[in-house]
Amino acid sequence: MIDDRIITRTTVTPAKAGVQGNRAPLSRLSRTDGIAAVGKGGTAPLFFLSLVVSLCALPAPAFAMHISEGILPISWAVLWYAVALPFVAWGLRDLRRRSEETPWFKPLVGLVGAAVFLISCMPIPVPSAGTCSHPSGTGIAAILIGPGLTAVVASIALTLQALFLAHGGITTLGANIVSMGVAGAWVGWGVFTAARRLGLPWFAAAFLAGILSDWATYATTSLELAAALHGDGSFTAMFSLILLAFVPTQLPLGILEGFLCAGVLKFIRSRRPELLRTVPTGGAA
Amino acid sequence: MFELFSDIFTYRDNALTRIDPRVKLLVALAAIIAVVTAARPILPLGVFVLCLGTIAILRIPAKLVALRLAAPFSTVAILVVIQTFITGTTPLFTLTLGGWTLTAKAEGLRQGLLLGTRVLGAISIVLLLGIATPAHRIFQALRGFRISKDWVEIAILMYRYIFVLMDRAGDLAAAQRLRLGYTAPRRALASFTALAGATVVHSFEQAGRTHDAMRLRGYRGTMPFGPLPALGRRNRGLLVLLLTVIAAAYGFFEWGING
Repeated sequence: MIDDRIITRTTVTPAKAGVQGNRAPLSRLSRTDGIAAVGKGGTAPLFFLSLVVSLCALPAPAFAMHISEGILPISWAVLWYAVALPFVAWGLRDLRRRSEETPWFKPLVGLVGAAVFLISCMPIPVPSAGTCSHPSGTGIAAILIGPGLTAVVASIALTLQALFLAHGGITTLGANIVSMGVAGAWVGWGVFTAARRLGLPWFAAAFLAGILSDWATYATTSLELAAALHGDGSFTAMFSLILLAFVPTQLPLGILEGFLCAGVLKFIRSRRPELLRTVPTGGAA
Repeated sequence: MFELFSDIFTYRDNALTRIDPRVKLLVALAAIIAVVTAARPILPLGVFVLCLGTIAILRIPAKLVALRLAAPFSTVAILVVIQTFITGTTPLFTLTLGGWTLTAKAEGLRQGLLLGTRVLGAISIVLLLGIATPAHRIFQALRGFRISKDWVEIAILMYRYIFVLMDRAGDLAAAQRLRLGYTAPRRALASFTALAGATVVHSFEQAGRTHDAMRLRGYRGTMPFGPLPALGRRNRGLLVLLLTVIAAAYGFFEWGING
């Protein structure tokens, strides 16, 4: 049995001004599914039709970077689990190693994971769509705690979202971990580290990491969907169409995520710079 | 958001919440696999109706269910529309949209309905599981299935502190709005990054306090997970019964109808 007493008791009240259910411009998942289907016919009107239906029919927050339960055939779901598991296992090994060095590292990862989860639920305005979407948060997580642990945190966040928000799913968990916790995290961390080594200022490095981690997440999601849904049609054509479908919101959202990533680091560096020096992060920050 | 995300309804006492979470997880997984592999929409649709009916019997607020189902419903709408217009050869009707002519096809409609009902069926199972099982009991069951102790420990910490941070971020966001922090796009972006940054800083500080408090309660680097009790006779019987029902329903709807 889990001993709950060991965790600090804190009174929790409902968020008074938390995230509201914003009218999303277009569910990214829905749009993806639509375009995945369009790929078979390759027709522009259907893309337009899917946009219209999405804009009219979606009252929910767009957490839809996750592939929904029931979309992937079982064989693909198993394959993506197999791809994701080594990364999560590597992250857990990293967690054990760093916890031995720093006793409060596990609470830190849990808390930073909770913060990033919350940030990923915050609405962010997308000017091109005229409404709000949500950042993925993997770029900032990878900079703060490293890419290995971001895979662990992403796997937990995705499980919680699948179980308690009906976003993503259990069978699609592996695919969603690969796109968010592996591709997004490694690209974000890699870009930030490389940019810093090349002498770029930290703000520019964080900005680039935020943008590219977001785009990498969506590119991987597109790949996963195209691979599973192209049927008898061309994989390349399907992949291109899905990528194209992401452009209207993901291009500006990626840039906004870049600003978010850089802004968060700027805030921490200006208010509590000692945190980045003393906290055993992934080393990138 | 709190009501939408939290597991507050799982603490009610009813027949579903009394079932061992390991049984619920196994049955949910079997049902999802049955739904995802279904070749006809009848089984996924039946599962969807059954799950929604159970949720209604449990008196879960309809608004909460609607909010959680909004995204899956939109997914289904897109799937059905797109598949209808791109797949198949037998024309159903023609639609003119912005100068383009689209022809709906019967085979596409069937394919779209199948995919759509699969999504709804699978999502409703997860929804019912999340409504009938508290988060800590799910983590406990996962530990019972030998999921990594460290993963479960981080999951417990994350789940608990999401609400603490949500409360604090909510206060900060309200203060920002009162100070007109979201009146213009550029200002909104600055406010948003400050809010996100403050949330991360608070999480760092809270981590130290949490660790101190945990140590005072006996934490020495690993959360104590005692052994789970063996499944009782009633739960074992229920597991066998439910898995049999799922297998029988799958066999009947997939192979029984029309040969």
